[in-house]
Amino acid sequence: MNAILHAQQLTKHYPGSLALDHVDFTANTGESIAIIGPSGSGKTTLLHCLAGILRPDAGSVTLNTPSSPLRLDTLGDAALSRLRREEFGFVFQQGMLLPELTAIENVALALMLNGTDRATSESRAAEWLAALGLGGMEQRRLGELSGGQVQRVAIARAQVTGARVVFADEPTGALDSATSSEVLDILLGSVAANGRTLLVVTHDPNVAARCRRVVELRDGRIVADTGGPSTPAASAATNFKGAFNV
Amino acid sequence: MSSLTMALRLAPYLARSKGSSLRETGLRDAGLPILAFGTVTALLLTVAGGSQVFWSWTDDIAGTYQALAVVAMVLLIIPLLTLGASAARLAARRRDDRLASLRLLGANSATVVWMTVMESTVLAAVGALAGAGLYACTAPFLGLIQFRGQAIGSHAWLSVPSILGCVLAVCVLAAASAALGLRKVVVTPLGVRTRQTADGAHWVRGLIAAVVVVIGVVAMGMLSSFGAFIVIIAVMGGCFGLALLALNLMGPWLLRLRASSQLKRAKRPEHLLAARTVLESPKESWRQVGGVAMTSFVGVFVGVGMAVADTMGGSAGDETALLVRDINTGVMITLLGSFLMVACSAGVNQAAAVLDRAPMLVALDRVGMPRKLMVAARVKAVMSPLFLVAGISAAAAAVLVLPLTGAVLLTQPVVFVTIGGVFAAGFLLVRLAVAAGTAQISQVLARPERYASMDS
Repeated sequence: MNAILHAQQLTKHYPGSLALDHVDFTANTGESIAIIGPSGSGKTTLLHCLAGILRPDAGSVTLNTPSSPLRLDTLGDAALSRLRREEFGFVFQQGMLLPELTAIENVALALMLNGTDRATSESRAAEWLAALGLGGMEQRRLGELSGGQVQRVAIARAQVTGARVVFADEPTGALDSATSSEVLDILLGSVAANGRTLLVVTHDPNVAARCRRVVELRDGRIVADTGGPSTPAASAATNFKGAFNV
Repeated sequence: MSSLTMALRLAPYLARSKGSSLRETGLRDAGLPILAFGTVTALLLTVAGGSQVFWSWTDDIAGTYQALAVVAMVLLIIPLLTLGASAARLAARRRDDRLASLRLLGANSATVVWMTVMESTVLAAVGALAGAGLYACTAPFLGLIQFRGQAIGSHAWLSVPSILGCVLAVCVLAAASAALGLRKVVVTPLGVRTRQTADGAHWVRGLIAAVVVVIGVVAMGMLSSFGAFIVIIAVMGGCFGLALLALNLMGPWLLRLRASSQLKRAKRPEHLLAARTVLESPKESWRQVGGVAMTSFVGVFVGVGMAVADTMGGSAGDETALLVRDINTGVMITLLGSFLMVACSAGVNQAAAVLDRAPMLVALDRVGMPRKLMVAARVKAVMSPLFLVAGISAAAAAVLVLPLTGAVLLTQPVVFVTIGGVFAAGFLLVRLAVAAGTAQISQVLARPERYASMDS
C-alpha cells in the first residue's frame, strides 16, 4: 500500500494538558480509518494536525503528492489553506455548510474556490448530488433538508474537488441510528469507490466497525491500531462503484 | 405556574455566559445592544434639549426658527427611532437560538415572549441610563452653541423628569420591538433553529413607499394652501417623517431586488456569497447601510439650507444675517448628529454580524476558504448596496423638497457639493465600520476554539 499521509512524533499541548504525545501515524491510499477514543483523548487534535488545521508543537506531517512529498508543518497559513481546499475534503458533525446557500451552491462553492467557473462547478455539483440521492433537491436551502440530507451535501462538498483525503469529525454524531447508517454507507461507499482515503473521528463503535482500520487513542497516545480489510467497507465500495463516475 | 413567573425563574439561567473563557460571548450578548441604546438615548436627549431652546422663544421671528427646528427634529428623530429599533432587535436576536431551543423543549409562547422582553428591557435600561449620563456630561458643552448671537447655555438642558421620560421611552421601544421581533421564534421555533427560510422583503413595501412619497410631494406642493403657520409646519414635518419611514420600508425590498440580480450574474465565490448574504436577510443588510440612506436624505436638505443661506446672505440686514448664520449652524448640527448615528449603527451592526457568524467563519477556514475571500465577501455584501441606497434616498429627498424650493435652488452648485461631501463621508464611515468588522474575522480565526468545538 502507498502511504499518503505520514505523521511522525506529533506532539501538541493545550494549556494544562498534553493532547498528543509523540504520535506516529501513517494513512495509506484507499484506506478507511476510524480514530476512536474517549473524550479528551486527542482524536480531534490528531485529525486537525493531519489536515493542517492545527500546527503541532513538535513532529512532522507529510502528504505524499504526485509530484513530491509535502511537509505540512513547514507551510504558511495561505499554503495550508490552499492545501486544505485542493487536497482534502471535510465532513463535520453539523455539516458546517453555509445556511444561506442552496445545496448545489454549497457543493459548487468548493470548486469555485479552486478557480473553476460557476457553470462547470454547478454542473459537477449537480452530478454529485444526484449520485448521493439528492437529485431534484439542488435548489433547496439547507434548512429545507433533513439532517441526513445535509450530511450528504457535506459529503458531496468534501469530494467534488477530487480531494485525495477526506476527514470526517463525528459525521453521524447528530443523526438517528437509521439515518446514521445510511450516511455512513454513502460516505464509505463514495470514498472507497473513488479510491480516496478516509479518516473518521468517532465515538460510535458501529461507525468504527465499518472502517477498514481502527486506531484508538488514549491520553494523546495511540494504544491500538488494527489493520486488514473489512468486508462491510469493501462491499459498500462495490455497491457504489456504478454510481460514482463523477 | 404563570408564564411571567416561569420567565422570571428562567431568566437568570439564560442570562449566564457559556463559560468564563467566553468573554466575547458576553460582550456580544450585552455590550453591543447597551452601546447602541446608550448612543440612541444620548442623541435623543441632545436633540430634544436643543429643540426646546427654539420653543422657548415667543417673538416674531421665533416661528421661522421653530419651523426649521421641526424639520431638523424630524430628520434626526426618525433615524434615531430606527437606530433604537435596530438596537432592540440586536438585543433580542442574541437570544433567538436559545429561546427557540427553549420553545422546542416545551416552554410556552408567553414564557418565551416575557423572557425576551425582560432581557431586552434590562439591556435598554442600562444603555439608556448610560446614555443619560453621557448627555449630562456633554450638555454644558452643547450650551456653548450660539443661536441668535448668544450661547444657548442652560436653555438646552432638559429637566430630570424629561430625561427619565426619555429613558422610559427607550425602554418601551426596546420591549415592543423585542416582542414583535420574536413573533417568528414563537410561531416557528424549528424554523429559527434551522434557518429554514430567508427573511422576506415583499414588493408591497416598494408600493407603499412609492405611494407615501407621491402623497408627500402633493402635500408639499399644496403647502401654502394650508393657511395656518402651525398646520404648515405640521404638514411639512409629517411629509419628511413619512418619507423617511417610507425609505425604511422600501430599503430591504430594493436590496433584495438588487441582490437577486447580482446572484444570477455572480461568477466569483465572493460575489455569490455577498449576494446570498443580502438575500438571507435584506432587513439586516438594510440595517448595515440604512444609516447612509438617512444621511443622504438629510444631505439634500442640508445642501438646500446652504443654498438658501447663500441666497439670503447677499442682501442681509442684521436680523437676516443672524438667521443665515443660525441656519448654517443648524444644518451642521443636523448633519453631525446624522453622521454620529451612521457611525453607531454601522459599527454596532458590523460587529454583531461578524460575531454572529463566527462558528461559520471557523468552519470555512477549516475547509480552506482564504481569509481574504471572507473579507471580500463581507465588504461586498455591505458596500455594494450603498450606492443604490444613497442615490435613491437623495432622489426621494430632492423630489420632496422640489415643490418647496424650485429647481433653481435645488441645482445650485453648493447643493451638489454638499450632497457629494455627505455621500463621501457616509461611505467612509461605513467602510471604516466594515474594516473594523473584518478585522474581527482575523481575531475570530486566531482563536477558533472559542467559537467551534475542539474535542482535544
